[in-house]
Amino acid sequence: MIFDDLRAIQLRHGFLPKAELESLSARTQMPLYQIHSVASFYPHFHLVVPPKAEVRVCVDMSCHLNGAPELRADLERRFAGAPAEAVQIRDVSCLGRCDLAPAVAINDQIFTEVTADRAEQIARSALRGDTVHEEHPHVPRVACASDPYVDGTGVGEKYGVFRALTHTKDFAGVLALLKESELRGMGGAGFPTSMKWDLVRREPATPKYVVCNADESEPGTIKDRFIMTHLPHLLIEGMAIAGIVSGAKIGILYIRHEYHLQEEILGEELRRCYQMGLLGKNILNSGLDFDLQIFVSPGGYICGEETALIEAIEGHRAEPRNKPPFPVAEGLFHKPTVLNNVETFVNVPQILARGVEWFKSQGQGGSRGWKFVGVSGQVVNPGVFEVPMGTTMREVLFTHAGGIRGGRTLKAFAPSGPSSGYLPASMVDVRLDFKALADAGSMLGSGAIVVCDDTTCMLDMALNAVRFYRNESCGKCVPCRVGSQKMTDLLVRWTQGGLTEPQYRADLALLDELSAAMGLASICGLGQIVPAPIQSVLKHFRAEVDAHVLQGKCPSGICFSPAVRAGEANRVGIRP
Amino acid sequence: MATTATPPGLVDLVIDGKPVRVPAGTSVFDAARMNGVTIPTLCHLQNETPVGVCRLCLVEAGGRVLSAACVRPVDPGMKVVTNSDKVLSARKTVLELLMSDHPTPCARQQHSGDCELETQAHAAGIKQARFAKRSVARGRDESSLAIAVDHDACILCDRCIRGCDEIKNNFVLGRMGKGYSAGIAFDLNSPMGESTCISCGECMVSCPTGALTNRGVVGTAIAKTTDAQVFDAEELLQIPVFKGVSGTFLELNTGAIVKRKFRAGELICKEGDFGSTAFYILEGRAQVSISTPIAHVKTDGGAKGFFKKLTSSLVSRTEDKRDEERRDRTIPIDASVDLNYGSPVAELGAGDLFGEMTCMNFYPRSATVRAVSDVVAYEMLRNVLDIMLKNKSFRAQIDANYRRRALENHLRGVPMFADLAPDFIEHLKESVELQRFSPGQMITRQGDPADCFYLVRIGFVKISENYPGGELVLAYLSRGDYFGEIGLLGGGVRTATCTALDHVEVVRISGDDFRQMIERFPTVRAGLAAVAEERQQANQQRMQMLQTVPIDQFLSQGLMEAQSLLVLDLENCTRCDACVNACADAHDGVTRLVRDGLRFDQYLVATSCRQCRDPLCMVGCPVGSIRRRNSLEVIIEDWCIGCGLCARNCPYGNINLHPFEVIVDDPEHAGRKKAAIKQKATSCDLCTHLKEPSCVYACPHDAAHRVDPKTFFSEMLGQGSTK
Repeated sequence: MIFDDLRAIQLRHGFLPKAELESLSARTQMPLYQIHSVASFYPHFHLVVPPKAEVRVCVDMSCHLNGAPELRADLERRFAGAPAEAVQIRDVSCLGRCDLAPAVAINDQIFTEVTADRAEQIARSALRGDTVHEEHPHVPRVACASDPYVDGTGVGEKYGVFRALTHTKDFAGVLALLKESELRGMGGAGFPTSMKWDLVRREPATPKYVVCNADESEPGTIKDRFIMTHLPHLLIEGMAIAGIVSGAKIGILYIRHEYHLQEEILGEELRRCYQMGLLGKNILNSGLDFDLQIFVSPGGYICGEETALIEAIEGHRAEPRNKPPFPVAEGLFHKPTVLNNVETFVNVPQILARGVEWFKSQGQGGSRGWKFVGVSGQVVNPGVFEVPMGTTMREVLFTHAGGIRGGRTLKAFAPSGPSSGYLPASMVDVRLDFKALADAGSMLGSGAIVVCDDTTCMLDMALNAVRFYRNESCGKCVPCRVGSQKMTDLLVRWTQGGLTEPQYRADLALLDELSAAMGLASICGLGQIVPAPIQSVLKHFRAEVDAHVLQGKCPSGICFSPAVRAGEANRVGIRP
Repeated sequence: MATTATPPGLVDLVIDGKPVRVPAGTSVFDAARMNGVTIPTLCHLQNETPVGVCRLCLVEAGGRVLSAACVRPVDPGMKVVTNSDKVLSARKTVLELLMSDHPTPCARQQHSGDCELETQAHAAGIKQARFAKRSVARGRDESSLAIAVDHDACILCDRCIRGCDEIKNNFVLGRMGKGYSAGIAFDLNSPMGESTCISCGECMVSCPTGALTNRGVVGTAIAKTTDAQVFDAEELLQIPVFKGVSGTFLELNTGAIVKRKFRAGELICKEGDFGSTAFYILEGRAQVSISTPIAHVKTDGGAKGFFKKLTSSLVSRTEDKRDEERRDRTIPIDASVDLNYGSPVAELGAGDLFGEMTCMNFYPRSATVRAVSDVVAYEMLRNVLDIMLKNKSFRAQIDANYRRRALENHLRGVPMFADLAPDFIEHLKESVELQRFSPGQMITRQGDPADCFYLVRIGFVKISENYPGGELVLAYLSRGDYFGEIGLLGGGVRTATCTALDHVEVVRISGDDFRQMIERFPTVRAGLAAVAEERQQANQQRMQMLQTVPIDQFLSQGLMEAQSLLVLDLENCTRCDACVNACADAHDGVTRLVRDGLRFDQYLVATSCRQCRDPLCMVGCPVGSIRRRNSLEVIIEDWCIGCGLCARNCPYGNINLHPFEVIVDDPEHAGRKKAAIKQKATSCDLCTHLKEPSCVYACPHDAAHRVDPKTFFSEMLGQGSTK
């Protein structure tokens, strides 16, 4: 695999020297351009010698709300004048530590709730040549309400559903139950799970694959990290069930590379499963085979797009494919593929163990089942919470997450990261439900709730979101590649104020045209969703935007501060 | 149509309200095209796999979002709308986005007015893009001789990439980077001219904008002469050596290649002339020779009057044996053959290429070529030669020619290989590898493991070593020279770095073959060992010298390696120029000394050959007649053709051309002779035939001294004074 080869080279040299890539090309018969094209796509790979201390401050949503711009500016001051080969302070896209903001990656090791003092101390130790290590404090397993195997429920030992199924082989029954449960994909799109599995099951082509998307990278999304930490057995069981039901013999768990700890936990659980004969050939003497392996993502938000993720597993640039065909027909290696989010797989053994009636009864207000939500931003108690589907946002924010930090008031919240746009505090009674949120002009998405208090500038948050998309665009299609940059340029201009009314009107019209084109013309969901944050802000917080553009005033006093400005230049241009 | 049942294998659908029937698997784009509906596109070409990245061929196909028609297969009953407001407005925005970063008018628009992006944008009524322009330019790449790259005009349609990889299977081009900073890259993001690109032209032909365009014809317009026959791309493509080259590309280079006919006896090119073309013989035979006498300049003669006057004359090797004379039996020239020292004449025939160095690197012609029978040849400029040289089928032919005809001479031209048995040469003909290097490319690196031996076939190779004070150039090797033996004979490690100075081609003999060779042929081993020994001793001496006098300034001025320097003590010197006059008097009126040069303390180091660290004079000698001895002294071999390039190259003006009258064949009248002036390059000879250099002798103020720089400068620096 190309990524293994590249990682091995990088481990040896700290970067990818030309000579090594040339010999890799000679050895593998892979053309040079192809190696470079892949290596230059993923930020994880260094094509030039990296600095001794590479400090990368997460600047997306939750970290942005928790002092990342100031932290970055402070660090730049502290290392002012340091040569580029010694220290580089740069931005990085969401590291998936939104509940422990701000997060900083130093030499690819992630540190959370970082102060400038601590970051400086770690960077200085890296400068001295020490190897830095991220910390993994012991996290006790949390008993989840939705875990059917939690002590005392009497359902039986772990993997009970899967064991029984290898015996009964009643796959049609599983699909019928899932259909009745109306389980939908939990990754954002909400496609009916039973239909997806059934489509793959009916495909004549073999081999088939089951792929788990554990690449959650949307700012604010931390629920899969929690699930993989506390319910790894349900994930593996769900994937194995998907495998035998759909007829796939190979499963791949695609995990983001920033989740070192979860990779370990899952690896250990996998070993246990193999020891128990639950995975591998002839599972429990049933004649069924299913192998499951972990694939560590080479990195990038776009890898979470299902076809980009498939491209990455195939060793290509993670560029989304044109659809149709969909992965159910032509997925991994152009074979039928079940591709689901972590939480979707975890839901399956729950439903099969406890029954559809139980699943239906768990939701509130007509919704079904449980939902893991990550709450981050300006709340007292950020973290992941397991709540019944249909719970109101108010209950999530004020009961589970402890309300707004510092006694301030709620101004806005994103129900699911930048992609869901921002809703105003007045809509806090919206229920966590596919339909309710869609009706509110937002979406349930991946349950990445980001909370903004009354000190937040919403234009700044919109710009922050657009920048995130701009940085994470794969560049394959024009509307997203160029459009995300032009939208960033436009919003940067707005935050600087000083436009006349006709200019502003022209800009607004241009923004609408661009938004429509991006939404309609982009290949994948990333490009299509880029306009959502600014459009939601224009819809709900128009006066605030007007104040910036027409009066040169940021009502929240954010936009004209140097800390927020820092870093724009570093994020454009050719990555070294 | 819609009323009848759809036959199997066909699909019924509706495009813009019109029912159409197409084969299943057809793309919406093609279905529309076949039914007279044109959908605009930038990234789609009929002969390339569709990728759907430009998003211009968007149509409504029933989905939540628009579909790219080029990648959307037709579905039964599908309703396609290609021209709704929604579609048109999205297309226009896409064009406007691209135009906001487009350097308008781009190179293609300027040359031929057919930039597809600008044409479409114009048609869509976009005059001025309203979006902000790109703030950081992505840059240009001018490194290829044939194709100009303007990354700012690139719209990442992937057409070039598919042309390179899918159509031509050359696998050089790909996307690099990600997002807004993505671009196209050659190999590991090398400059195009240094990449493995073979200049087939497919990328350029595929490019819709000015990102990849044909580079203008360089050099003189060869098409203008009367006898030249310009012919079109069609005809060229019939010729096997152009197999694989894009026809459009050749069309763009019309006039850069012409067909010429030469009558028997006609001169094709003359040694020493400057030129910019190469010749490829299609039919007929031609003679290649050096007409300048093979002799070196000897200065001697008795006293004439009070001042000792010397005369220079041309003296052959047999009459005047020089110390350290190279025992070469062949003279390397810019053709597929080498000339014999004793009788420098050879014949070229159909399929031979000559003038490559002149064409690629603008070196003077190395030899005179004259038609023996009637000759038909292509004469071409650099961009066409580059295309041909990189073309697989042409290369294969040239390489086969070389293996068949020239390799043996080439090997035997190196004296120590003269004893190789014919069967071994036959073995080498099959096993050697012919490699090309671009200017600046490293062939071997000091300290790397040594695994092969190289023979220079074309171009100049710089041999340099790393010293405490920096890099020292040991030699510029040219055709017929070899390198890599020290590493193989010694510790298995490269002792010097060898870099291609221009377009270099080498013959690579593997370590195994090399070892076999020296085992089987003791004379070869002995010869190589002796040379290696000499070279290493010289290296050690230099090292010691450099360690005892670690003076950067001298190193950088190239003084330390000099065998002998003329220094003028400026405290005594009255600037009377008696030294210069004496030199001129001593050398037939041509001075080899200029009273100018680098100053050190009160000393002026006059310009007389200082055996530079980086002897630029050697670069470009078309016949390899200027070289360095192991002692580092620069000497001029006696097959100098007097082209004067070394004199022009010497930054210190230390090489002069000395004219001699000689009798040569009269080109106008066969069989008759006539007098002609031939020149030979000369540099300071230290007046070796006199007791003391005439400049020193002539100085009335005791200001001129010939000194050994080592002692002189060490004393001066060590003690602060030489007095």
